[in-house]
Amino acid sequence: MAETTDIVLDPLEPRHLVPPHDDDKSLNEKLFAFMWAPPSKAWLALLGLALALLGLLVVSIGYTLYEGIGVWGNNQPVGWAFDIINFVWWVGIGHAGTLISAILLLFQQKWRTSINRAAEAMTIFAVCCAGIFPLLHTGRPWFAFWLFPYPSTLGVWPQFRSPLVWDVFAISTYLTVSALFWFVGLVPDLAALRDSSKTKLQRRIYGIFSLGWRSSGRHWHNYKIAYLLLAGLSTPLVLSVHTIVSFDFATGLIPGWHTTIFPPYFVAGAVFSGFAMVVTLLIPVRKFMGLRDVITDRHLENMNKVILATGLMVSYGYMMEHFVAWYSANTNEAFVFINRAVGPYAGVYWLMIACNVITPNIFWFKKARTSVPIMWVASILVNIGMWCERFIIIVTSLHRDFLPSSWGMYSPTVWDWGIYVGTIGLFSTLFLLFLKFLPAVAVSEVKEMQWEIKHAAHVAHDEAAHEAN
Amino acid sequence: MDAAIDGPKETWVLAEFGDPTKLVEATRRMREQGFTRMDTYSPFPIHGMSEAMGLPRSKVPLLAFTGAMVGLITAFSFQTWMNSVDYAINVGGRPYLSGPSWVPIMFELTVLISAFSIVFGLFALSRLPQPYHPVFECEAFRSASTHGYWLSVEADADQASEKVLDAVKALGATQTAVVNGERE
Repeated sequence: MAETTDIVLDPLEPRHLVPPHDDDKSLNEKLFAFMWAPPSKAWLALLGLALALLGLLVVSIGYTLYEGIGVWGNNQPVGWAFDIINFVWWVGIGHAGTLISAILLLFQQKWRTSINRAAEAMTIFAVCCAGIFPLLHTGRPWFAFWLFPYPSTLGVWPQFRSPLVWDVFAISTYLTVSALFWFVGLVPDLAALRDSSKTKLQRRIYGIFSLGWRSSGRHWHNYKIAYLLLAGLSTPLVLSVHTIVSFDFATGLIPGWHTTIFPPYFVAGAVFSGFAMVVTLLIPVRKFMGLRDVITDRHLENMNKVILATGLMVSYGYMMEHFVAWYSANTNEAFVFINRAVGPYAGVYWLMIACNVITPNIFWFKKARTSVPIMWVASILVNIGMWCERFIIIVTSLHRDFLPSSWGMYSPTVWDWGIYVGTIGLFSTLFLLFLKFLPAVAVSEVKEMQWEIKHAAHVAHDEAAHEAN
Repeated sequence: MDAAIDGPKETWVLAEFGDPTKLVEATRRMREQGFTRMDTYSPFPIHGMSEAMGLPRSKVPLLAFTGAMVGLITAFSFQTWMNSVDYAINVGGRPYLSGPSWVPIMFELTVLISAFSIVFGLFALSRLPQPYHPVFECEAFRSASTHGYWLSVEADADQASEKVLDAVKALGATQTAVVNGERE
C-alpha cells in the first residue's frame, strides 16, 4: 500500500490533482484566503490599469455613438473588419470555458475541477466583450431588439434563413446558458462563503446570492443530475455556436469564405485560442493567489496538450483550405490564397502561420509543456495568431474579390483600436472583480474529488489488508 | 400546514458525524429504525446518499425533456408562421417552408428552454430561494457548507426529540443540537 500522499485516481498519472495534506477545513481557508484578505497592491494596480482601459472603451464607444460608425476604418469593399474580427476572437476565447466545464465533465476528466470555475467566468466575460461588436456594428444599437421576433408595427419579421439571425439566437442562448451553468455551480460555494464570512455584511450579501442553500442531501440529489444535464446541453451548444459563427462566412459567396471546412475548423480554432487564454490567465492567478497546489503543473501540462492537439487541427484546416483552393481549379479561390501569402497583408498572414502552425509544436516536448515561462509566452502568441487568423479570413477575402475594379484596402482607425483594447479592459476588470469576490476554484467540487481520492485509497487499503490475511 | 401565523414551532434534532461514510451509514441505519422526515447536509454531494435516504428518482430529467420539447416545437412553429405564412418571403428561390434553415434556431431554443427548465426546476424542487430555515438556528450547523456532515430529523409526538437524540448518539454522532423554528 502506497503512502497516503501518493494516492491518485489514475495509476497512469502519478501526480497530485489536489493538495495531499489538506482536509475540508484547511482547503476552505486556503481557497477563500484571497477573498477575505484585504486587496493586495498587485490586485489594486492591475484593477487600476484595467479600469483605465475600460475608460478607453467608454470613450471610444461614446464617440462612435455620437459620430456614427463612419469613424471606423471599414468601408466598401471591406464592410466587415474589426467589429467582426474581435467578435469572433472573443467568442472563440469563451469556448474553452464551456469545453472545460462541460465536455471534460462528461468525459470524467477529474483535472478539470481546479480550473473550471475560472474558465467559465472567462467564457461569460468574453461573450460580454464579443457582444459589444455586432451590437455597435448595427449602427443604431438602440434598435438591436429589431433582431428578435416580436410583433412590431413595421409588420415584418426577422428573416430566419439568414445566418446573422441564427447568430443572434446562438450568442444570446450561449451567454444565458453559460451564466446559468456558472451560477448553479456557484451556489454551494456561495453558501460556504456565507458560512465562513467574517462580517455581517458579507454574510448577508453571500446569503442573498446563495439563495439559502443549506447543502441538503435532498437538494444535492436533484443538483447532481441538473448539473450533469446542463453539461450535456452545453456540449452541443458550444459546438453549435461557433459553427453558426462560421456560417456567417461560409454561406456567403466570397472566395475564401465559401467553404464547407469552416464549421469544424472554426470550432477547433475557438478551443485552441480559448485554452491558450486559460493558460495566459491562470499562470499569474495561481502565482498571486497561492494556488499552486490546486492548479498544479499537471493541469497546465494537460492544457498544453489540448493546445497542441487543437493547434494541429487548425493547421490541418489551413492545409485543406489551400488544397481545395488549388484542387477546385477555381481561379478566384486560388487567387485569394496567393493574395494572402504575397499580397499587401502578407505580414499578418505569416504572423498567423508562425503563431498558430509553428508555435504549438513546441508542446511536443515535455520540457516546453512543463515550463511555465515558455507556455505563457506560447499561449500569448497563440492568441495573437488567432486574432491574425480572423483578420486574414475577413479582410483579405473582402478586399480583393471577383472584380479588380472593386478592390480596395482596409486600415483600422484609432477608434477601432480604442474599442478593441477597451474590451480587453472590460474583460480584465470583470475578471479581477471575479477573483476578489467569488471563489476562483470550485471549492465544493475540489472537496468532492479529494474525498473520492481518499475514499478510493481506503477501499484499496482495506482490500489489500483483506487479501494479506 | 394548519399553523396560524404564530403557530406552533417545529423541533428539529441536528447531529454531526465525523466523515461522509459515517453519515451515509448513520442515515441508512436511522431509516431502517423507522425514522422519517430526515435530511442530510454535506459540503459536497456524497456518493450513495440518495440511496441511503431512500429518495425517489429525480424529476429534473423530466423537466429538462419537457423544456427541450417546448423549445423545439416553439422554434419550429414561430419560424414557419412568420416566414412561411404570415409574411412569406422568397429568399434565393428557396421554398417558403425551408426546414433546414429553421434548424439552427430550433436547436438553440431547445437548449435554452431546457436549460431554463433545469435551473428553475431545480430551484423549485429545492424550494429555493429560502432565506430562513430552522436548521440555521444552530451556529455550529454552518459547518455543513464547509466541512461538516450533518443529519437532521424533524421531531414530533411519535418521534420525540429525546428518542431521536438517543438514536443518533448510539450511531456515533460527534455533536448534537435541538433547534426550534417555524417551518418555511
